[in-house]
Amino acid sequence: MLSPYTVLDLTDHRGELTAMMLGDMGADVIKIEPPQGSSSRQMSPYLEAAPETEQSLQFFSYNRNKRGITLDLQSEPGRQALMSLVEKADFLIESSEPGEMASLGLGFDEMRKLNPRLVYVAITAYGQDGPYSGFAANDLTLAAMGGPMSLQGHPDRPPLRITVPQVWLQASAEAAVGAMTAHALMVQTVQAQFVDVSAQAAMVWTMLHGMAAHAIQGYDINRGGSELQLGAMKVPVVFECADGYVVMINVGSTMVKFVHWLVEDGIVPQEWIDGEDWPTYERRFLQDMPVTYPLEETVEATRRYLRKYTKRELLERGLREDITIAPVSTTEDLTRFHQLEERGFWLQAPLADGRGVSVPGLFARLTKTPMDVRRWAPTLGQHNAEILGEKLGLSDGEIAAATGINSA
Amino acid sequence: MAEQLPFESLKVVDFSWVAVGPITSKYLGDHGATVVRVETEGRPDILRVAGPFKDGVPGPNRSHFYGDFNSSKVGLSLDLKNPAGLDIACRLIEWADVYFESFTPGTMDALGMGYEKARSLNPSILMVSTCLMGQTGAARSLAGYGFHAGAIAGYYDITGWPDLPPDGPWTAYTDVVSPRFISALVMAALDHRRRTGQGQHIDAAQMEMGVQFLAPQIIDYNASGKIVSRNGNRSDVAAPQGAYPCAGDDQWCAIAVDTEQQWEDLRLTMGDPAWAGDDRFKSVEDRLSNHDEIDGHIGQWTMDKTAQEVMELLQSHGVPSGVVQRSSDLLQDPQLAHCNLYRYMDHPEMGNIPYTGHQFRIQGYDSGPRSPAPLLGQHNEYVLKDLLGMTDEDMIEAVIAGAIA
Repeated sequence: MLSPYTVLDLTDHRGELTAMMLGDMGADVIKIEPPQGSSSRQMSPYLEAAPETEQSLQFFSYNRNKRGITLDLQSEPGRQALMSLVEKADFLIESSEPGEMASLGLGFDEMRKLNPRLVYVAITAYGQDGPYSGFAANDLTLAAMGGPMSLQGHPDRPPLRITVPQVWLQASAEAAVGAMTAHALMVQTVQAQFVDVSAQAAMVWTMLHGMAAHAIQGYDINRGGSELQLGAMKVPVVFECADGYVVMINVGSTMVKFVHWLVEDGIVPQEWIDGEDWPTYERRFLQDMPVTYPLEETVEATRRYLRKYTKRELLERGLREDITIAPVSTTEDLTRFHQLEERGFWLQAPLADGRGVSVPGLFARLTKTPMDVRRWAPTLGQHNAEILGEKLGLSDGEIAAATGINSA
Repeated sequence: MAEQLPFESLKVVDFSWVAVGPITSKYLGDHGATVVRVETEGRPDILRVAGPFKDGVPGPNRSHFYGDFNSSKVGLSLDLKNPAGLDIACRLIEWADVYFESFTPGTMDALGMGYEKARSLNPSILMVSTCLMGQTGAARSLAGYGFHAGAIAGYYDITGWPDLPPDGPWTAYTDVVSPRFISALVMAALDHRRRTGQGQHIDAAQMEMGVQFLAPQIIDYNASGKIVSRNGNRSDVAAPQGAYPCAGDDQWCAIAVDTEQQWEDLRLTMGDPAWAGDDRFKSVEDRLSNHDEIDGHIGQWTMDKTAQEVMELLQSHGVPSGVVQRSSDLLQDPQLAHCNLYRYMDHPEMGNIPYTGHQFRIQGYDSGPRSPAPLLGQHNEYVLKDLLGMTDEDMIEAVIAGAIA
């Protein structure tokens, strides 16, 4: 799909997924790291038996379909090499602090002079300017400032984030949308484009109906543990089962079938089947219209039923009879969820310690231009000779100067 | 010169519903495309009956759960099970560049508007089918929401406190991941179409997009057998990190130290209290081991200040910190105002309300949202006459046949 295009990836963990998405979609991506390597090479989880710069599974996960070079952008030869690459590139993605690239003479205004068709994507915590643009930020503080923490967590504990950092991944995936939107505009205008991505705003969008709630209904939504909160309806979605937890949204149409399971196990009397117009239950409830069995009773019956069975039993019977009861998976459960294997989702990748491992595959299927993995994450400076030597025609000495080998 | 929009000549027909499809077509609409959102009056988008409702009063045209995802679109009512309705759906597919649907796999084929049919009507159509589990595989018909896919993907187990059952993310988590992947993909596939004339069919499984954000942890399990688990707000490599109580009712400020320097700066901001110099808090490992105790001390320092004061004090020393903001805070956040995130527009039933815009800004044009969400069936005549070129007579015939319902 994007095979005519070249992407320069100057990001760290704040934007590596952006360039990988473009690479998965076919673009030729060149990852440009400082001489000591991207800071994401230091991020957990780690593969202990690998060389130090290749230990990070964070780096390994979000840098496939990229060739990797090192450039010392603090030095003139390093900057010159980058500028030569920019002349021939279509996209540049960076995630440094606002103004940092410009201070090196590598900001959008300079780059567009070198390449008047460049799409320049900058990913930052709060955007390039504005009152908070200089704020120190990370996953936790952006999950707070972007809103989702106010909605997550147990009511008698502090507001909560998702334990595995999500913010920069949300912002990075969004930046890929920004890159492609700007590219579409560039095609029409034949003018360089600047895309200013805000991680805070990306987190606002993770609130869905919570994001503008106050302006609509006049009050905020507050965290309610595992409750689904839809207007008047507050219903738990996480239930204990025999061997862990499941997620079930047991309102309305789900009860049409599930009520038979409840009756079968003697959890509720036979008259529940016809005593309520279950298909319209949810709509009536949400619109403050009368219902026969209060929500609390259906929730309690559900709780009593689910406790008797395992995650697997509930999922499988549900699949057969069209009731969705989703297991609360651990990473281990996920790798055993048969659907992904059946669809050929998992790919085999070589780890830096020499072993092969199953890894998450491509994010969608296309009939004409299927995505593929052409290479796994580069080792530090793996393609210096190939790109700086063959592509740019630099001599060995010039490569050493540009990559900072002399100073390292 | 008139402002040019990235997708101003693009035509989109959207038969999808709830979140993933509509949020994706919203991107295209806000950035210039003509988007026809098709609904059936007897079974409109479920979000139309879910809150938040304007002033708390329910009604199919009063839900902003629906509204926020459907800005910059026109609305058409169509009964796809009615032959005349299906005929109009096919005309829309002929008209469109992009065709979205999010039904259970096989539904569009059964209705007579699957990909093969769509391609015969419009050889370069780009059709996007999105559902939880994908178009193939034994679990393909698993119907549900992003809550279910989020649970199977692993997000519930890793959101909560270690001593309590999982809380899970606030919402249907794969719904907040998938639109980003699909939007980028649709734009890339459109670029391919521009260059080659080729359309195609995209199978976007929300589960497979959802797990992308857990890739390192999945690989870690496969490589080393380690299972990540929920750990409140704490990091496994840096401390202290947490949400700390501030003055007022249920007000909090998140503070998250990543480096030794930031720990020093946090101490300095708090006035270098004696407790912080204790050897038990010296290294990262020490602080991780004695985290509860540190949290108690920091909470003592934060609790008589407003969350905004705590954030500003810490930011003046470069310590990562941020107020735990609610919707009411976000609507007044000066940074989001600077980014022009919320746009107030007049909706026929809901009045002047904010629509949430985009998370990136591209210089040189306004990315909207451009118009409020459609009322159910609001643009029937516009779509049939102006977009499809139907005559008054044809339109009346379709209405009599029961197609427009």
